[in-house]
Amino acid sequence: MKDDLDIYIKQCIQNDRAGQLKIYQLFSPVLYGICLKYMKNEDDAKDVFQEAFVIVFQKIHQYKFEGSFEGWLKRIFINKLIETLNKKKKESFFLDVFDPDTDFIEEEELEIIPIAQEKLLEYIRDLPDQYRMVFNLYVFEKMKHREIADQLKISEGTSKSNLNRAKRILQKRILSIKNFKTA
Amino acid sequence: MKKQKIEDIFSSIENFSSVPPPELWSKIEEELDKPKKKKKVILWWSAAACLLLGLLLPSVLHLNSDSGIETINNVSIEKSVVLDENKKDLNNTEKASIEKNNIEKKSDIVENSSLEDIKNQSNNSQNRNTYRTTITHTDSNNKINSGISNENSKIGTKNMNEAVAEKTYTAGKQNSFNSFSNNQIPAEKRNENQALAEKTFAAGKQNSFNSFSNNQIPAEKRNENQAVAEKTFAAGKQNSFNSFSNNQIPAEKRNENQGLAEKTFDAGKQNSFNSFSNNQIPAEKRNENQGLAEKTFSAGKQNSVNSFSDNQLPNSIFEDKLTSKNTVAVTMSTSNLVSDNKPNIKKEGSDQTVSNKTIVAENVQKNNSITAHSLNKQDSLQLVELQNLEKGIVEIKTEKDKEIKPDANSEKWSLEVFAGIANSENYNNQKTLGNVNESKQTNSYGVKTNYKLNKKWAVSSGLKINELGQSIANVSYYNNHNLSSSPVMSDYFSPNSFASGATPKITNNSSYVFVSKNTSNALKSDNLESGNMEQSLKYIEMPLEVSYALFSKNKTNISLNTGGFVGKLISNNVTLNGNSIGDNSNASDFVYGSLLSSTFQYRLYKKTHVFVEPGMNYYINPLTNQTFNQFQWSFNFGLNVSF
Repeated sequence: MKDDLDIYIKQCIQNDRAGQLKIYQLFSPVLYGICLKYMKNEDDAKDVFQEAFVIVFQKIHQYKFEGSFEGWLKRIFINKLIETLNKKKKESFFLDVFDPDTDFIEEEELEIIPIAQEKLLEYIRDLPDQYRMVFNLYVFEKMKHREIADQLKISEGTSKSNLNRAKRILQKRILSIKNFKTA
Repeated sequence: MKKQKIEDIFSSIENFSSVPPPELWSKIEEELDKPKKKKKVILWWSAAACLLLGLLLPSVLHLNSDSGIETINNVSIEKSVVLDENKKDLNNTEKASIEKNNIEKKSDIVENSSLEDIKNQSNNSQNRNTYRTTITHTDSNNKINSGISNENSKIGTKNMNEAVAEKTYTAGKQNSFNSFSNNQIPAEKRNENQALAEKTFAAGKQNSFNSFSNNQIPAEKRNENQAVAEKTFAAGKQNSFNSFSNNQIPAEKRNENQGLAEKTFDAGKQNSFNSFSNNQIPAEKRNENQGLAEKTFSAGKQNSVNSFSDNQLPNSIFEDKLTSKNTVAVTMSTSNLVSDNKPNIKKEGSDQTVSNKTIVAENVQKNNSITAHSLNKQDSLQLVELQNLEKGIVEIKTEKDKEIKPDANSEKWSLEVFAGIANSENYNNQKTLGNVNESKQTNSYGVKTNYKLNKKWAVSSGLKINELGQSIANVSYYNNHNLSSSPVMSDYFSPNSFASGATPKITNNSSYVFVSKNTSNALKSDNLESGNMEQSLKYIEMPLEVSYALFSKNKTNISLNTGGFVGKLISNNVTLNGNSIGDNSNASDFVYGSLLSSTFQYRLYKKTHVFVEPGMNYYINPLTNQTFNQFQWSFNFGLNVSF
């Protein structure tokens, strides 16, 4: 498998369309899933997915065959998603003022109730752009607040605040389902 | 009921995946098929060129307009000549570059002797054909064929067919180098068929190097078929190197079939090196079939070195040799030696396989098939180290990448040398002696060091020789001799009279007394002369600049610089009608000012950049008692080396 992947990568380096298609077929579901998690709607996700994949094939010669190729791909996609968000942020004012009174409320644990993946995805996508980005980077990419702050060009406190607010919004959504079910 | 955190709930979609709509791939394909954008660099460069033109045009026009003023100004004339020469140089350079392009286009035309078939049915005792190509750069197919068909040469002494390629470079798909000989010569002493390739590089898909000989010679003393490739490099998919000989010679003394490859490098998929001989010789003394590969490096999947002979020799010394020397540690080569010898070989059938300094790998070669002609398989050596080789290729590439990509962190410092022109201007319409201060063009040069604070910001400082100047046309003045002959005038215009401040004192030279325009009109004296005055102040300056990178992509950088400078006066001169009359009076020894410039930088090679830098300087009070051109346009160009 690893050998085959290396062959496909080498084909991509030579701009071989067959190799590019193979790479696309292998990794597109995971990468498209990431785009769906980070972008508010499917059209935006498609745009970023398309642009990021073009970047992948243009820069694949920079891959040094060290470490996971999937990780390398994800990194490109995450960077592209962050870049898109940063562009969006310039276009629209976004309130990210850190409020110590409301942002550091103890997070309460929720009872386990089965929720479909699609629903969870919907909740995440309904979050405001920056909350969603911080939440995704923190929860799924396991990034630290310092790294998130650097990437999103915000302060570390704002990153923490955004995460807490995102969590609270999600908490409310989940509790509302629970209440709906119990009622 | 069991509880969990929000993160845990959402961890179920951590590896969420969804198949993208099929139309996305076609969109990506479209994007990939689009020709690469001609980058914004061109736009920036054209903007820079426009700016440059905009800066230069006024200066040139200004110089031309000076001709209207009665002036004996050698300096300005010299400079305009220099400008003209520069223009000529520019024109010449353009022409040269156009010519160069034409030459390059011409060189693209393949120097190819193409296909030449020579049918030789005469009784020539010696027939020698040599085809030589020197350096050939081409994107098209390149074929060098040397074909000779000799029939019924009855008493041929020597028949040589040579095809030689030296330093051949082919970027196209196919590069074939063939030497073909078809001989039917009943009594000939020697038949040589040689194909030589030296330093052959093929980046295309196929590189074939063939020497083919088909001989039907009943009584021949020597038949040599050689194919020699030296330093052959093929990056394409297939590189075949064949020496093929099909001989039907009933009584021949010697038949040599050799295939030699030296320092052959193949990064493609298939590299075959074959020496093949099919002989039907009833009475022959010696038949040699040799396949030699030395320092063969192949990174592809398949590399075969074959020496094959199918002999039907009743009385012959038969030697079949295969030698493979691999000095490169990471080498995959497979050597096969198959010989098919019928039982009535008289003396000797020896096979030798020599392998030096090789690493035998565990891997087994994927495709290697020789099916027929296998009566006596004596030697089979398989040397495969595919993974190491692949790593080897990657390492080579990454090293190249490292070379190409300059490490941004290590290149904090840079040193630049520059030279340029500057034009001193006065935008306040200030006047000296009632005459307008006109602009003056000067030269500047210097060195500068630059330190990168981060990706965007940098500081720089250095040393620069710069000259600030102005010219004043139609200045009225008396010289000392005239004054002394007129006592009244002498009293009024003695140098001491300037102490009152009515007329500014221009120079320390007491021989000349300058009169303001209004006064000269009032006096209308016969002794009053007029001329053109030029004032210049040369400084050694130390600027301190802060730079901000506005644009940085690929090889291009555009930055905006601002800061200040301090200058020390090193030369102070006043000329009247081209003759020096002394120093400017009250010139400040130290001058201060501010600067603003923009640098357009282009990376030429690794750490070397060229740049152009249009800018402007403002000088604070170069002279204390007289108005002076304080504003200066500058246009510098130079080299920048980062380290």
